Amino acid sequence: MPKARKNRVSDAGGINMTPMIDIVFQMIIFFVLTVEMERDAMDERIRMAMSPHGPLVEQRDPRTVTIDVSDRGEFSIGRVPLSGQQLFSIMRNTVGIHGQSLPVVIRGDLDANHQHIKNAMDLCTQAGLYRISFAAIKQLN
Amino acid sequence: MAHKRKRKRVSLIDAELSMTPMIDIVFQLLIYFILTFEVLDDIAHLDVYRPAPDAEQREQMETPNVLRVVIYADGFTVNDRQMRLPEIERTLGRLAALDRDQTVLIMATAHSRHENLIEILDLCAKVGLRNLSVVSMN
Repeated sequence: MPKARKNRVSDAGGINMTPMIDIVFQMIIFFVLTVEMERDAMDERIRMAMSPHGPLVEQRDPRTVTIDVSDRGEFSIGRVPLSGQQLFSIMRNTVGIHGQSLPVVIRGDLDANHQHIKNAMDLCTQAGLYRISFAAIKQLN
Repeated sequence: MAHKRKRKRVSLIDAELSMTPMIDIVFQLLIYFILTFEVLDDIAHLDVYRPAPDAEQREQMETPNVLRVVIYADGFTVNDRQMRLPEIERTLGRLAALDRDQTVLIMATAHSRHENLIEILDLCAKVGLRNLSVVSMN
């Protein structure tokens, strides 16, 4: 009996696993959190144009509304496709809540005709919004 | 009886927490997240001033002295002269050297690509021009 016990202790006590497991859990938590953020932010079907000199987004107004405009001119917000009429009523309601200083970012596909971008901008200006900017890629990582 | 007690004791020692399955699962999770992980690209936001739709015509009439960049589907003109991007950059650079707050009127035709508009806005950001007015024309 004492002999068997000694064996067992040497089996389990060979390597101390605790620090490794700590690190592995840290890594898992990091990846879980960053994957979630990315999913919120991006619609991968839209290819943005490059703007290497544009100002980097540092502090973002939490009210910012990002409108995606696909190359065929379809609007969407947070991957939800919207008709022009729906987009306009959403923008008008948002202006009613947050005011006209609400920043709007238009994320247009690089192949989209200006006509489509114009439609999106016109809907925003009709709703009374004036802080409009275009999203572009500053640097590919 | 004695035999039975002995077996019970052995199984009690066996019941120590076995880490192996947990570590297997944890590594599976880790590999999954590493493979699906993508670094986000750095995003720039190019601010523009957009006149309200009804004010568009008035804006063009009122400001004959501003630099006017027109984006066509197949090229650019600056104050009605056809230019390429490096030339536009020099022109914008000269303007920025005089006054960075000078308004630049950027007019995009309906069939121009959005990428070309971004290119012009990028040049303006590069030379430091801040007052950019984007209007649309047919």
